[in-house]
Amino acid sequence: MTGADVRDLDPGDGRSATPSVARVTARRPTTSRPLPALERLQGQLAADWPEIAEHLREGVVVCGPDGTVRQISPVAQRLLPELVVGGTLAAVERLASLDPHLRHHGRRLRVRRVPLSAGRSCWYVEDVSDSEKRAEELAAERSRSAFLATVGDKLGNPLHPDRAAAAVVRLAVPTLAEVAVLVLAPRSGRARWWRARHGGDETPTVDRGVLAASELPPAIVESLRGTQPHAVDWLVEQTIEAGWLPGAAASEVAARLVPLPGRDASAGVLLVARGAGGWYGEDDVDLVRAFAARAGAALTTALLYREQAEVADTLQASLLPVEPTPTPGVQWGTAYRPAQAGLRIGGDFYGSHRLPDGGSVFFLGDVSGKGVEAAVFTGQLRQCLHALHRVEQQPAKLLRLLNDALLETTLAHGQGRFATMVLGVVRPDRDGGLGLTLAGGGHLPPLVLRSSGVVEQLPLTGMLIGVVPDPRIGQVTTRLAPGETCLLYSDGVTEARGGRRGEELLGTERLVQALSGCHRMPAPALAERIEQVTCDWLAQRDHDDIAVLALRATGVSGHPQRHLHAVPTLSGPDPEEMIPG
Amino acid sequence: MTTATRDTSPETVYQDYLRSLAEADEHAAVEVARGLLDAGVAADRVLLELVAPAQAEVGELWARNEWSVAQEHAATHISDRVVAAVAAYAEVRPNRARIVVACMDGEWHALPARLVAEVLRLRGWQVTFLGASVPAAHLMSYLHRYDAYAVALASALPMRLPHAHRMIEACRRSDVPVLVGGRGFGMDGRWARRLGVPWAANAVAAADLLSDERALRAPAPAELTHLADDEYAGLVNRRGELIESALAELTQRYPAIGDYTPAQLDSTISDLGHILDFLAAALYVDDGSLFTEFIEWLVTILDSRGVPGATVEASLEHYSRLLHDFPRAVDHLQRGRAVLPARAVGSGRPAPRAG
Repeated sequence: MTGADVRDLDPGDGRSATPSVARVTARRPTTSRPLPALERLQGQLAADWPEIAEHLREGVVVCGPDGTVRQISPVAQRLLPELVVGGTLAAVERLASLDPHLRHHGRRLRVRRVPLSAGRSCWYVEDVSDSEKRAEELAAERSRSAFLATVGDKLGNPLHPDRAAAAVVRLAVPTLAEVAVLVLAPRSGRARWWRARHGGDETPTVDRGVLAASELPPAIVESLRGTQPHAVDWLVEQTIEAGWLPGAAASEVAARLVPLPGRDASAGVLLVARGAGGWYGEDDVDLVRAFAARAGAALTTALLYREQAEVADTLQASLLPVEPTPTPGVQWGTAYRPAQAGLRIGGDFYGSHRLPDGGSVFFLGDVSGKGVEAAVFTGQLRQCLHALHRVEQQPAKLLRLLNDALLETTLAHGQGRFATMVLGVVRPDRDGGLGLTLAGGGHLPPLVLRSSGVVEQLPLTGMLIGVVPDPRIGQVTTRLAPGETCLLYSDGVTEARGGRRGEELLGTERLVQALSGCHRMPAPALAERIEQVTCDWLAQRDHDDIAVLALRATGVSGHPQRHLHAVPTLSGPDPEEMIPG
Repeated sequence: MTTATRDTSPETVYQDYLRSLAEADEHAAVEVARGLLDAGVAADRVLLELVAPAQAEVGELWARNEWSVAQEHAATHISDRVVAAVAAYAEVRPNRARIVVACMDGEWHALPARLVAEVLRLRGWQVTFLGASVPAAHLMSYLHRYDAYAVALASALPMRLPHAHRMIEACRRSDVPVLVGGRGFGMDGRWARRLGVPWAANAVAAADLLSDERALRAPAPAELTHLADDEYAGLVNRRGELIESALAELTQRYPAIGDYTPAQLDSTISDLGHILDFLAAALYVDDGSLFTEFIEWLVTILDSRGVPGATVEASLEHYSRLLHDFPRAVDHLQRGRAVLPARAVGSGRPAPRAG
């Protein structure tokens, strides 16, 4: 039952009614006798009409059934002066059409027609020039804000200066210009420029080039210096002369030049140009300036980032693990995955050094802590080893020497850092196998993949390196027959957390399981397999540094090395390539 | 362009090459490839008509359980060395901009991406190949450091699509256009279209696409409005709990699971997780075929390893029950159940899962 039903059932005397129903019944009398009141009102209205009509926002035109104008209110008369009482609406062009929008004497009018009784009709005319202008201004302001918001959004991210510069010119077209040229402040006498041109569709064409600082148009030089040029006509000609506006005539182009604020001097200047009929009003110039401010901030950030990144890269490169040196009879395999992927360095390390007798000393370890500080410590440690292996080649003794050296440094710096590591010496046998002597400093014992398929854990123990003056160092010797592999790995592997809820450790058992049946794999593939198994187990969770060093006995009877010399090692991008071109 | 005779075409030496992969004989494999190059076969043909199809076949051999994981890894490693040898043979001076080629984080099959990288290099692009499983943070810091004209991202696993989307967005925020490739975006690239990213079917298509900056920079917008229903987010948040309850249910229904070795149990848990990850990816791109294709593949893999599909059926049923208030997920799960072979349905005793 709805409220309406209740109302219909209401007895009307209010006795049994609920309060809401009572209100409904109370309103009834007013709606049941409206006519007398309205008649009285109409009488008054007729009397007051001329005065009221004068102050109505809308003008009123009343037409008879034959279309002749019978009445025109003063407002309507002002808006449509051509109309006369007794004439027709045809005096105003398009008034009688159904289009409610009308432009008349420079004003925007909104017209609506309401049919009256006895075939008459009434035309209401309103002047909406001001409100539409305000709406347009608002829309323009909104589109400017939206443009600047997009610009802020897109310029905030490219941290590479070239990317940022290309983004600046691309974003300027077509909103600010048909052609936008960004000239960066010259560095060592050369100024690089980017240009975007409107290409008809939404994606502008971007190109770039370099000019000697001495060849720059004078207006650009002045603007870079911070003195805004006044001679705008000259600017266009200079721009054409510089070749940035191919095929344009100076008289047809409007251009503006805005400096991009930098850290102290300008980061560069932005030139915006519009062809035939385009011009730059005050609002446009304000928008170009606002754009330039954001572009300047983005470029400055990118340039600052590059400076910092150049320093960081140089330091980083010295702290990255160095791939083991080629050793006869040994195939090396490595995997390295630092906890902080963006940093690329961490607290795990590995490496090798050639010995004069044809063998190699190799090591893998993990220092306490993570990130940059840990990486710096691995650097110190590797340098120590680099020097010490020249005086001592017996693994346990070498590890003790390293312990003393580290203890001295950490005490001197008050760091309290230490490391765990396995250090070994490998020497090729006459029969193609490898003889291994390994010393352990509190690190996870190495695994050996035998030709039989058995995965063996070497019984290697020992104490942390860099903690006490005379640590107990374990030592073990073993032999790798051709095709057998010894694996050193960091605890980032076995302590990777995964499983059902991401809390279970990978553990040695799972690692051994994952390696069973892999004894025929080449060392690099084996190292990668461990990395992959660990990462699969992690399922994108955070992890500790991960490092693997595998060495496989290739055997002397193997294929000659001659052909494979043509094959470059696969250790990430070539250093040559890292230099930006 | 080539003086190769019929005797020295990639097809004629294909079986020799595959045999050297099977025997993990790096030297022989490199010799086969160099033989072709010496006979005048173009480097990109060696890559695309010898190395690529052989690697695809290796993947199939593994899926049919004819090859072990170890053999597959070894073969991949050798193919990689062959690619390096071919690249070194055909030295090309780069005269075009820098392209960064990378595999998605969690994507370990680097060879297809590497082939793309080498084909691009042969066409004059300056290519940086970042390798397998590139963490997003690494890629971003690389792009901030070294300018790139474009990034080519490879993914073979559809379950990584949501992650791929985040990576694509990150590159674009750095104003670097992205193009993607690999089966992970659908055989016809349909999931790439969902994500609004240009897709290349193969290395040649990738090279063509890179030459068209407009196409690269103006892809169709992503169609992901369905994500508003939060089914994807809800599923991801409940992943651990869902796996645990599914495992409990399976153990109750099939007591044999209680006797699984730890390795078998890990495999079962990993399968249960994969079902959810693929389901989540299907929800992300709103395409049930992603999930059904995965179920078909999973059944093939389990079948070739002697594991009946009954547990798959039971898991799908269990997930449907628990996710009853996720209509799209339930629909995908039902379609997944529909493609299970008839004999898998029922209460067969599951054989232990091979490791």
